[in-house]
Amino acid sequence: MTLKLGRRTLLGTAAAVTLAPKARAAGQVIVGTWGGDYAALLADNIDKPLLGPAGMEVLQDVGNQDARRAKITAERSSRRGGMDVACLSDIDLYTMSQLGVWEPITEENVPNLKHVPKAYRTAYSIPHIISGKVMVYNPAKMAAPKGFIDMWDSKNAGKLGLIDIQYLYVIMLANLAHGGPMDDFTRGKKALMELKKAANPRIYPSNEAFATGMKTDEVLYGPMWLARGVFWKKGGINMATAVPSEGPIAYVSGASVTKNAPNKANGLAYLNAMLEPRAQNAFAEKMSYAPTTDNANVPATLMKEIGFTDAETAAMKYPDFAYLAKETAALLDWWNKEFKA
Amino acid sequence: MAALLLPAVLLVLAMMVAPMALLFRYSLNLYSPTELMIAAVTPGNYLAAVTDPYYWGVLRTTLTVAFEATLIALILGFPAAYVLARMQGRWKGPLTLLTVFPLMVGNVVRAAGWMTLLGNSGVLNAALKAMGFGGIEMMYTQGAVIVGIVTVVLPYMILTLASVIESIPVNAEEAAQNLGARPFTVFRRIVLPLSLPGVVAGSALVFILCMNAYATPVLLGGARFKMMAPAVYDQFVRTTNWPFGAALAFILLFVTLGLTMAGSALLQRRYRR
Repeated sequence: MTLKLGRRTLLGTAAAVTLAPKARAAGQVIVGTWGGDYAALLADNIDKPLLGPAGMEVLQDVGNQDARRAKITAERSSRRGGMDVACLSDIDLYTMSQLGVWEPITEENVPNLKHVPKAYRTAYSIPHIISGKVMVYNPAKMAAPKGFIDMWDSKNAGKLGLIDIQYLYVIMLANLAHGGPMDDFTRGKKALMELKKAANPRIYPSNEAFATGMKTDEVLYGPMWLARGVFWKKGGINMATAVPSEGPIAYVSGASVTKNAPNKANGLAYLNAMLEPRAQNAFAEKMSYAPTTDNANVPATLMKEIGFTDAETAAMKYPDFAYLAKETAALLDWWNKEFKA
Repeated sequence: MAALLLPAVLLVLAMMVAPMALLFRYSLNLYSPTELMIAAVTPGNYLAAVTDPYYWGVLRTTLTVAFEATLIALILGFPAAYVLARMQGRWKGPLTLLTVFPLMVGNVVRAAGWMTLLGNSGVLNAALKAMGFGGIEMMYTQGAVIVGIVTVVLPYMILTLASVIESIPVNAEEAAQNLGARPFTVFRRIVLPLSLPGVVAGSALVFILCMNAYATPVLLGGARFKMMAPAVYDQFVRTTNWPFGAALAFILLFVTLGLTMAGSALLQRRYRR
């Protein structure tokens, strides 16, 4: 058998080889996400089953959200960014929106947004999962705290664990427990200085370190996301959750598409897929976060564990994003220099 | 010959000098929580850092850890380097490789190992409790950070010292011994002075690494322990205050550079005598 390579065949082959990578690139989407379970659930419930059949290749850019935020900030003046979709907390999404880095989100470009209640919608992101700040405690060693204010009860001194990376929420809940508004944390800061003196709380560098502290009885209680409390309880830690009388503080983890996304259309398709019932259910079952859509069909028994009652939802407090965007640097300074010193 | 240097010079200019120049420019800007930064030429960030007692405390902690870790690495590293340098035969290669072995494990992984050892319910405390002693708080202390950093920098110290000690003729030590010098005198009068270039180079290298340590202080020092590199990271990444973060980075750079040069000059002068 002889192989004849004519001029046209050669040119055709060369063209195919040249164009092939571009064709693949058109089907890519780069998703900046947390690692661990979150990344695995995205891969198993969105990347492979929902976007894989459409020929989309999902590349995960795994890292913590501070680094992700810094990366987007650094790239914001570039014509072509390095990330299509960024998964961030609601506070960070708002703060970054002030820098004008996000593509507008509407029902036209993300059709599943119609299943998201109006209260969770923003003009620049989708809400992916939701939980609330509650108290977690060791039910074998202490009675259920009634509210955030129990942290200042002298009988609980020496049992409290706080988490360094959650400093904003710690100041926020201290403020809330002492009747402060969501846009001025003066009372919270004063109360925390008193708490430091009276209860000497342990400050853990990460959520995981706090979980270890709870497991080994180093600390017996502390403020934490309801989702994490349920998740750790399922993981075998002797832990119960108590919704605070002041109302839980809402936490929404969301996602946006960057304005300079290299694959903008795919990024928007990805956001739409994040709101699909399958994806919402998976995060509820595996990570204990409540869905943000009205068509998720999470089993009622599970919703009872990971969701809030109507009364608790009505009492829920929402961070004042504009205040936090302005004050975060000063609050971190105060946390480091005054509270942790 | 000069042309041979060109690729390296261009690479350094593009990858190091240019970003540093940009960073220095940022350090003179003003911070804005909503606009990231506002173009300006002000020493305000430097003044804010040097007049803030908190950052003096952070710098003091960084210097203390760096000095102590360098000294411990030198004390532990010198005998090991001497043995390695004087070793002959087939074990020299494998032992050199074993010295380098810790560098094959990332700082974070190594720190994670220390966390399982030093934690309140870690291996060491479990062993202490099994022997009837009470547990000791080891994690999230300055001691834990120093231990963690020493394990990172020790191979650099050993290898730097060993390469210099190898170049000291054994005859010099033997001559001293023949003239009646005791082993400690041989060390003090012959080995140590002749190995001073290695001590200077090793200490400078290790001190610089210690001053810029990030992962170990964060993982083993805990939330209340702060060194300069994590403080710089906080400003850049947690609060997006790039101008102040850049100023802190340059302060760290100037202090490290100044102390390293002063220390090296001091030891070199002593060596020349």
